[in-house]
Amino acid sequence: MSRLHAEEMVLNMGPQHPSTHGVLRLKLRTDGEIVSHIEPVIGYLHRSFEKHAENLEYQMVTPFCGRCDYLAAMGSEHGYAMAVEKMMGIELPERVEYLRVIFAELQRIASHLVAVGTFGLDVGAITPFIYCFRERELILDLFEMASGARLLYNYIWIGGLAHDVPPGFVEKTYEFLDNFETRVAEYNQILTGNKIFIERAADIGVMTPEVAINYGVTGPSLRASGVNIDLRRTQPYSIYDRFEFDVPLGEGTQGTIGDSWDRYYVRVREMEESARIIRQALDQLPVEGDVKSAIPRRIRPPKGEIYFRSENARGELGYYIVSNGKNVPLRVKMRSPAFSNLSVINEIGQGFMISDVIAILGSLDIVLGEIDR
Amino acid sequence: MIQSLANWILSFDILAGLGNPIAWGLSLFIVSALIFVFVAVNAIVLVYIERKVSAFMQVRLGPMRVGKFGSLQTVADALKLLQKEDIIPRSADKILFLIGPWVILVASVVTFAAIPFSDTLLAADMSIGLFYVVSISSIVVLGIVMAGWASNNKWSLYGAMRSAAQIISYEIPVGITLIAVVAVVGSLNLQTIVQAQGGTGNLFYWIPLPLPNWFIFHSPFLFLAAFIYLIGATAEINRTPFDIPESESELVAGFMTEFSGLRWALFFLSEYANATLVAFLVAIIFLGGWQSPFSNYAGAQIGFSILTLLAVMWTLFVKAKTQRLSFYPLGLSLMITIAAWLFPGFAIWLASPGLFWMLIKVGSVIFLLMWFRWTFPRLRVDQLMYVSWKVILPISLFNLMGVAVWMWLTGEIHF
Repeated sequence: MSRLHAEEMVLNMGPQHPSTHGVLRLKLRTDGEIVSHIEPVIGYLHRSFEKHAENLEYQMVTPFCGRCDYLAAMGSEHGYAMAVEKMMGIELPERVEYLRVIFAELQRIASHLVAVGTFGLDVGAITPFIYCFRERELILDLFEMASGARLLYNYIWIGGLAHDVPPGFVEKTYEFLDNFETRVAEYNQILTGNKIFIERAADIGVMTPEVAINYGVTGPSLRASGVNIDLRRTQPYSIYDRFEFDVPLGEGTQGTIGDSWDRYYVRVREMEESARIIRQALDQLPVEGDVKSAIPRRIRPPKGEIYFRSENARGELGYYIVSNGKNVPLRVKMRSPAFSNLSVINEIGQGFMISDVIAILGSLDIVLGEIDR
Repeated sequence: MIQSLANWILSFDILAGLGNPIAWGLSLFIVSALIFVFVAVNAIVLVYIERKVSAFMQVRLGPMRVGKFGSLQTVADALKLLQKEDIIPRSADKILFLIGPWVILVASVVTFAAIPFSDTLLAADMSIGLFYVVSISSIVVLGIVMAGWASNNKWSLYGAMRSAAQIISYEIPVGITLIAVVAVVGSLNLQTIVQAQGGTGNLFYWIPLPLPNWFIFHSPFLFLAAFIYLIGATAEINRTPFDIPESESELVAGFMTEFSGLRWALFFLSEYANATLVAFLVAIIFLGGWQSPFSNYAGAQIGFSILTLLAVMWTLFVKAKTQRLSFYPLGLSLMITIAAWLFPGFAIWLASPGLFWMLIKVGSVIFLLMWFRWTFPRLRVDQLMYVSWKVILPISLFNLMGVAVWMWLTGEIHF
């Protein structure tokens, strides 16, 4: 009897596909349901951020930063502002620093809510996604109060903030935190502990610490592999050294350390830690202070270059800025965390099924705007 | 029902000249049309209910704009689908592509012929009703494979192959579970199965808790069988958590990817027809079909009083949990209880078997299916097979033996 003749099939997942989180194309080589090779094809969302930055004045680049990682725009703006401020040696008022931390952490919660919700959606649970978006809406309301925008803010300017927060903002943020802390328990009830969810996520796409470090994976995905690197803790920037918070690491509770479930759960716990940071920052927030006092009249960093990195929601967001002393940067390079995080997918996704590849992609939490820039 | 309808037609003086064959053919046509209308209207209503239920579970409002509380939304959607262009991909296998959806629809509609809606409302009283329903409903997989293969799309192909594997795997445990019930009744006739569940008896024969004689309370084995059947049937009709053939986040829309307009609406129609069919089977086989849960009108009065007590407890529980007072379940059950005590006629009506109880049971099972759908993630294809072959199949085999032993213990059969 001759053996059954079977051959591999190339499956194009995307660029139009419900679960590729934007316009990503994955070229899968499949043998039945088993995937033997994954090749991400990117560039469908390329908007020449870096070329734009070379032709715009420093302060004009800020909104473009937010448009890269559109799910964590505050964090992107924060990183860019800090990089230029460091070049120019600007000292910020206390109130600005606290407000920036509050916004960056709120943004982290909002971004992780999308990550957690869409991961649930990727494995077929629709309701948790809506629950997550319900809380994200409240955060967006807070952002709207402060900046007038709900997605792309242009709020964190070089040397300060666009506006001070309106009256009532602090109370509303406290209110949100009180509400949010009970909601996390709700997510855990409906999704985290669900048997089917654990079956789908545990032991899937295991990323060992070595693989994670070799591919330059950062952020929650790296910490899920048990590597304790959080720039807020290891290289405290802004005023993060003043707050008390834990760095959640993957523990392999449901399977192996570094599996999709760990990546999911690290995000859930990071949201709780972010809520803790926001609470402390709100308690210590100075009442007095002009948020615009430190904004320089002319933004002309001295000749030189800088590489500044900060911990954005998806990982280590780096800005490499070269200045020739003019008001337009000579070069702005963005080190995008999602780009490195995506590159690991072929390494950790081989040998799993199509459904698992979706789950792994969801657990890496990529934003195509940032990958393609 | 067809013969009695024919007799009724012939009882009119003007129509008596038609003769039995023509009258019979006419009533056959009427009954078939009624069933089709039931299935179509049912799908439209269920889509609306599903959207409202999902909205309720997801803290949303759901459709609100078309008609009062959005009640005409699905009608509007159906009209929109009807006027959409019927696109056939150039590389598709045209014939299979065209007939695939119809095969699925026909297979899911004709099963309703054997379903007893009440003690008299039954299209065809077949002696092999259960066998007929199970075998005809498995033709659906043929249509799915046709649709998936003919689309000439890799996603559709994956969806169709998954579906074929899934439906065939789950038919075996489902069939064996049903055999356990057939063993108890000794008949495949669905009407006989329902009639065997009348009156009240003890829970599991020995425990002195007077409950209706439904098969779910017959023995621990049939109690388990009801859940096995529900799980297997959920898999057979491709609903979450077993919706892998059309899993939206993986396979775009599975075997339905290339379909549009009317043909796509047919898939939807048959999906809800299948869900209803499964709910009907659960109600008929395990929950006593059209039998009332109360054996007499005093039972109805006492039963609804107990229900009111439960509603009071539920209200207090909700109050303790969410600090909110919701009087809807309490008010509803209180109204029915008062009416049952004040008007004996109403209590008698509650205690009598009929379409009302059938639809209540079917509605509850459908709500359960919707509840599954909006809370559970989806299983992976290999986990699905694992559940079928390694978990449910052994349990159902064990169950079949258990039922036989139980019947011997309770003296229902002798060796």
